[in-house]
Amino acid sequence: MKNHKSVVPTFAAVATLVMAAALSPLVSVDPVQAAADPIVVIVNRANPVDNLSMAELRKLFLSDHGHWDTGRAVAPVMLGAGAPERVLFLKVVFGMNDADLERYFLQADFNGKSVTRPKEVGSVREVRRMVGNSPGAIGFVRFSDLHDPSDSVIKVVRIDGAAPTDAAYRIHM
Amino acid sequence: MRTNRIRWLFIVGLCLAGVIPATAQQAPKPPAGQDEVNRQLLRRVQELEDEVKQLKAQAPVPAVAPAPEPTPDPPPAVEAAPVHEVAPRLRLNVFGDVGSQLYNHNPDTFLFGSLDLFMTARLSDKVSTLGEVLFIARNNNSLEPDVERLLLQYRPGDYLTLAVGRYHSWVGYYNSAFNYGAFLETTVDRPFIYAFDDHGGVLPMQDIGITLTGKIPSGKMGLNYVVEAGNGRGWGPGTEIAQNNQDTNNSKSINAGLFMCPERIFGLQLGFSVRHDNLSIPGPAVGETIATVHAVFINNNYEILNEGVLVRHVEPPGPVFNTSAFYTQFSRRFGAYRPYFRYQYFNAPANDPVYVYASPNDYSPAYVSTFVGRLNGPSVGIRYDFTEHSALKLQYDRIAERGLPTVNGVTSQIAFTF
Repeated sequence: MKNHKSVVPTFAAVATLVMAAALSPLVSVDPVQAAADPIVVIVNRANPVDNLSMAELRKLFLSDHGHWDTGRAVAPVMLGAGAPERVLFLKVVFGMNDADLERYFLQADFNGKSVTRPKEVGSVREVRRMVGNSPGAIGFVRFSDLHDPSDSVIKVVRIDGAAPTDAAYRIHM
Repeated sequence: MRTNRIRWLFIVGLCLAGVIPATAQQAPKPPAGQDEVNRQLLRRVQELEDEVKQLKAQAPVPAVAPAPEPTPDPPPAVEAAPVHEVAPRLRLNVFGDVGSQLYNHNPDTFLFGSLDLFMTARLSDKVSTLGEVLFIARNNNSLEPDVERLLLQYRPGDYLTLAVGRYHSWVGYYNSAFNYGAFLETTVDRPFIYAFDDHGGVLPMQDIGITLTGKIPSGKMGLNYVVEAGNGRGWGPGTEIAQNNQDTNNSKSINAGLFMCPERIFGLQLGFSVRHDNLSIPGPAVGETIATVHAVFINNNYEILNEGVLVRHVEPPGPVFNTSAFYTQFSRRFGAYRPYFRYQYFNAPANDPVYVYASPNDYSPAYVSTFVGRLNGPSVGIRYDFTEHSALKLQYDRIAERGLPTVNGVTSQIAFTF
């Protein structure tokens, strides 16, 4: 009986540890680390937009909104398929993966919607350069990739009112 | 002379005395960290040189200068390097499907489904074109080409897209969302109520004319409108359904629709449409009004489609004939697999003045034997996407028709795009 009593807490402790280990990939246990490198949405500094909602972000990248309020055409830019930033951004913002995105635009084309697919580029530097050179462009990069002289012609927009350094910011690596 | 030589030797000696210690000072290997710093500096210099070259190549762009404060109208120099180059480049997508069918009232057979050549091109920022040529097999085993769509579109903004040509009419959700490319559809076939009219269906799914679509400023409600005006359709024995070149009367079909995609629920769409046309058929002209309503939800995993249709035929001043139909479809994705279920219902009066003039043709779904009466039943199936661009579908149909034996059938389909 005594032995039985001692086994129960041991079993509970082991079970707790096993569950914690199993769930650890699903739970963000280190918010400081997660917040250390958010994915930031960038637009040309000439664009008057300073804040976008998650829904607006979806519409801009999925070509549901083809024009900014200024009337200028939206020109989304993103890294090519498979880039970690892109994988995360698609998942968090659209609930999609690369194949879903391809199919979305295929279907939009097929339905006769006049859509603008995101321009795919091969490097973060290209994303920054294109957003800096085109007033209608919008892209996303890691926060840590922002420190560059050319960043003076781009700006980071808030998402749902939150800056990338805020705890409420939702797009993290 | 000798004095000069001595003076030169003295000078050289001084120089050597200066250089050798300097060389001797450089000779010891610098610390490892210094190497890394040097490499970083060289890399940075190389990057800056590359950037200078790029900026020089971009004509008169003074780009990297400190940015101006945000203004609605950016400096024109920045315009010189747009992200999207617009050129009339052709984008071609090909859709195809093949399969097999086992029905209890037909011989078992392999099927050539369709070959669909879909083309788009952007002619300018605001003008684009769309063309679709279809090859489909008839039940007499012949293959026929069919120009399915040809549209020129002008989109000055989100609030208006104007298109002229031959289009798929916005009658209900399904016809606007899914066309011939079977790869994009979850199921093997369209619900019977949305079967293409020139391929054995009962609703006017295509038209020739003009369409206006766009957003309605409505904030988070996400309202959109659709207005279409076209020739309408011909109907009757031996009549080409789509009136491509000559309308049979002066009356034009008018279709108007409204739908909302609320921001709060990404993937939800609610809407309705009403279409009116006067049909010139054998006998008195018939007024046709088609009303549809839909509630659909589609996201990455779920697909829930619900639509209802009411078709009203009137022989002025005679009686009114109402045809009602609906379908509901549900599917859920599990990785590459997507099981689905659909139930459909269609009921047309036996003496309907329009449908009585036609009967299912070579293209009609295998389970349809007449356009009048009741037709209803479930379909269950599974879709397996074995690559990103190809899918295998297997579907079981059990369809009852009033006064006729129930039809059971299994259809397989491999649908792909490239």
